[in-house]
Amino acid sequence: MNRSPIPLLVLTLAPALLGLAVFRAYPIGLALYESLYTTIGGERVFAGFDNYLMLLTDVGFWKSLRVTLWFNLIINPLQVALALALALVFVQKLPGMAFFRLLFLIPIGISLPVAVIIWRIVLLPEGFLNGALGIVGLGPYRFLTSPDFALYSIIAIATWKGISYWMIFLVGGLQNIPPEINEAARLEGASPWQRLWLITLPLLRPTLLFVLVADITINFLLFAPVFMLTGGGPRGSTNVLMYEAYKSGFVFGDMGRAMAIVVCLVALLLVIVAIQFRLLSSAPKEAK
Amino acid sequence: MTRLPMLTTALALGLTATAHAETTLTVLMIEGLDKGAMEAVAAQYMREHTDVKVEIQSLPWNQFFQVSEMRLKSKDAAVDLIYTDAPVVASYAANGYILPFDAAIADDAKAKLVAPSVATGTYDGKLYSLPMNSSAQVLYYNADLLKAAGVTPPKGLTRDSITKPDAIAQLATGDRWTFEQVAEAAKAVSGDEGGKGKPWGFAFEQFAELYQLQPLGASLGSELISTDAKTADGYLNGDAWTKAATWWSDLFNKANVSPRSLGFGEAAQMFTNGQLAMFVGGTWNVPAVAKSSINFGIAPHPKFADGKAATPTGSWYLSVTKASPDTAAATDFAKYAALSDEGTDVWFKTLNQLPTTNRLLDQINADPAFDAFPANVMRLSAWESRNTAAPRPVTVAFSQLQDAFRTAFTDIANGVAVDEALGTAVDAYNEAAARLNRK
Repeated sequence: MNRSPIPLLVLTLAPALLGLAVFRAYPIGLALYESLYTTIGGERVFAGFDNYLMLLTDVGFWKSLRVTLWFNLIINPLQVALALALALVFVQKLPGMAFFRLLFLIPIGISLPVAVIIWRIVLLPEGFLNGALGIVGLGPYRFLTSPDFALYSIIAIATWKGISYWMIFLVGGLQNIPPEINEAARLEGASPWQRLWLITLPLLRPTLLFVLVADITINFLLFAPVFMLTGGGPRGSTNVLMYEAYKSGFVFGDMGRAMAIVVCLVALLLVIVAIQFRLLSSAPKEAK
Repeated sequence: MTRLPMLTTALALGLTATAHAETTLTVLMIEGLDKGAMEAVAAQYMREHTDVKVEIQSLPWNQFFQVSEMRLKSKDAAVDLIYTDAPVVASYAANGYILPFDAAIADDAKAKLVAPSVATGTYDGKLYSLPMNSSAQVLYYNADLLKAAGVTPPKGLTRDSITKPDAIAQLATGDRWTFEQVAEAAKAVSGDEGGKGKPWGFAFEQFAELYQLQPLGASLGSELISTDAKTADGYLNGDAWTKAATWWSDLFNKANVSPRSLGFGEAAQMFTNGQLAMFVGGTWNVPAVAKSSINFGIAPHPKFADGKAATPTGSWYLSVTKASPDTAAATDFAKYAALSDEGTDVWFKTLNQLPTTNRLLDQINADPAFDAFPANVMRLSAWESRNTAAPRPVTVAFSQLQDAFRTAFTDIANGVAVDEALGTAVDAYNEAAARLNRK
C-alpha cells in the first residue's frame, strides 16, 4: 500500500497553517492595507504612502524608535545571558536544586499584568524596595517616574518575567548535548570555561538562535508594562513603538498612522531576524 | 394551539404602541446622575409631545468615549442624540458624526446662554452642540491647618456663611488669593517634608490635566494654541505658559508641598482626612467636604498676582447625530432640553449642576434661597462662569493636545526642565494638528 503521504501531511498541518494564516498572516496583511488609508473629515480615503512619508518627519515617531532600539539593545542580551546562566545552574546536580528550580519557575506561572501590578507596589516611592533601601539609608528613589530610572525598571520587570521562560528552552538544549562529548573534553584536560566556550555554546547554537529570535520579537512588541506603569513617560523615556502605535490608533483614532508604525516595526523585526539567522546559522568555522 | 392568541395579542399591543408613539428617539449618555436627570427631562417632554418616545441608553464612564465613538463611526441609526463632552465637540463635528443646528437655534442659544458655553459648542462657525450644564472650580482650604502654620486663611464661604450677591462679587474681585500666596501658604503648612509627618500644602484635584491647569496660562493672558488651531508654538511654550509651568514645577521640585500624582477623588479624600491643607477642585466636592469634620472654607479660584482671574469651565453637551433617521424630532428634543425654560428647569432641579442659561444664572444670583451655604457656592460658581470662565480650545486634535499637555505637566512635576517638556508638547500637538487638518 504505497499511498501518497500528501493528504496526510495536509491534514495534520492544516490546523497549524490555519492558525498561522488567521492569527499571523491576516493581521499583517490587514495592517499593510490599513496603513495605506487615512481618515480625513470623517471619510476614509486612500492615502498611498502618505502615512509613511509623514512618519519620516514625525519627531514623536523617531524618538519612540530610538527608545525601542535602546530598550532592545539592553534587554535582549541581558535576558539571553541571564537565561543561559540560569539554565547552566539548573542542570547542575547539586543538593537543594529542586527548591531553586521551583523558585526559577514561579515567574512563568504569574500572568504578566499580575506581575506588573505586584512590581508596581514594590517600586512605588513608598513601596517595598524603597522601604528596604531606606533601612540602609538610601533613597527614596522614583523608580517609575524618574526619566533616569523608568526604562530600566521596565527592563527589570520584563527580564524577571522572561528569563525563566527562555531558560526552559535552553535547559532542553543543554540536555540534548550528549554528555560523552563533555566527558571526553574533561578527560583531555579542558577547563570548565573551555568546555563552555568550545563545546556547550557551539552545540547550543540552534537553541540559542531560537531563543534570541523569539526573545527579540517579544521584546520589540512589549506593551503591557509600559501601558500599565508609565504610559510612555516620563520624558517619553519608555515610549516604545508599540505604545506609540496603540496611542495613535486607539486613543487618538488615527488608525492610518498606527498601522504605518506597526508595519515599520514588523519590517524592522524582519531585518533583525534575517541578520541573526545569517550570523548564527552558519556552521562553526572550526568544523570545516 | 396556545401560541396563536399570544402572538395576536403581542401584535396588537405592538400596533397600539406604534400608534401612540410615532417617533422613538434614543439618547446615548453616561451612567449615573446625569442619566436620571435626562430621564426626568424626557418624561416632561413626552407629557407635552405624546407622539414621541424618548429612550435613554447609558454606558459606564470608562467605556463611554470608546463605545460611542464606534457607534458614531459606524453610522448607527439607533442613536439619535449623543451626550457630548465639551472637548470632543470639534472632533465629532469634523468627522461628520453630528449635525449643526440651524441659524435660528444658534441665535436662540446665543441669546439665552453664557458665551463661553456657546463658544465650546461651536466649530467652524456653526453651532454643533447645545450645552446641558457647566462646571466651576474653587479653592478649598482647611482653616485650622493654615492658622496653625501662622497663615491667615483667605476669605471664603463657610458652613454658617450667608452671602448676598454683592458679597459674592466682592469675594471674587477683591479677596481672590493669588497662586503666589497659595504656594507660600503651602510651604508654611508642609515645610519641606514632602507629605511625611506634616500634611501636604496644596494640590489640584485633577493632576496635570488640561481642564484643571488651563487657568494657569489663561490667568497670564495666554491661550494654549493659535486661533486657527494649527499650532501651539508661541503659545504653550510662550512666556506666559513658561512662567505658569515654572510655578507648577516649583510646587514639586523646589518647595515639595504637593503630592506628585493623585488618583480620582484622592484630593478630596486627603482634604477631608486633614492630610491636605488646600486644593483647587470642582464644586462637586462640596457635599463630601461639608459632611467632614474639617473647619473648611471655600474661596474663589486663585489667579497670578500680575494676571487676571481665569477659571475652568465646560461640561456636557447634547448633539444630534447625522445617522439619526429623524433629525427634526431629535433637534426638537435637544432644543427642549438645553434651551426651553421647562427643560432646563427640570435638568437643573434634578442634577443641581451649574447651569448655562442666563435665566437660571440670574435666578441663582437673585433668589434668597442661594444666600446660605452650600447654595452660595453655586452663586459663586455662577459669578465665575459669567466673568472668568476660560473655555478649552476648540480643535480637532484636542485629544492629542490633552495628552501632550498631561505628559508635559506630569514630566515637569517629575523634574523634567520646563522648556524641554513644553517644547515636546508643542511638537506633538503641531504634528497632530498638521495631520488632522489635511484637506
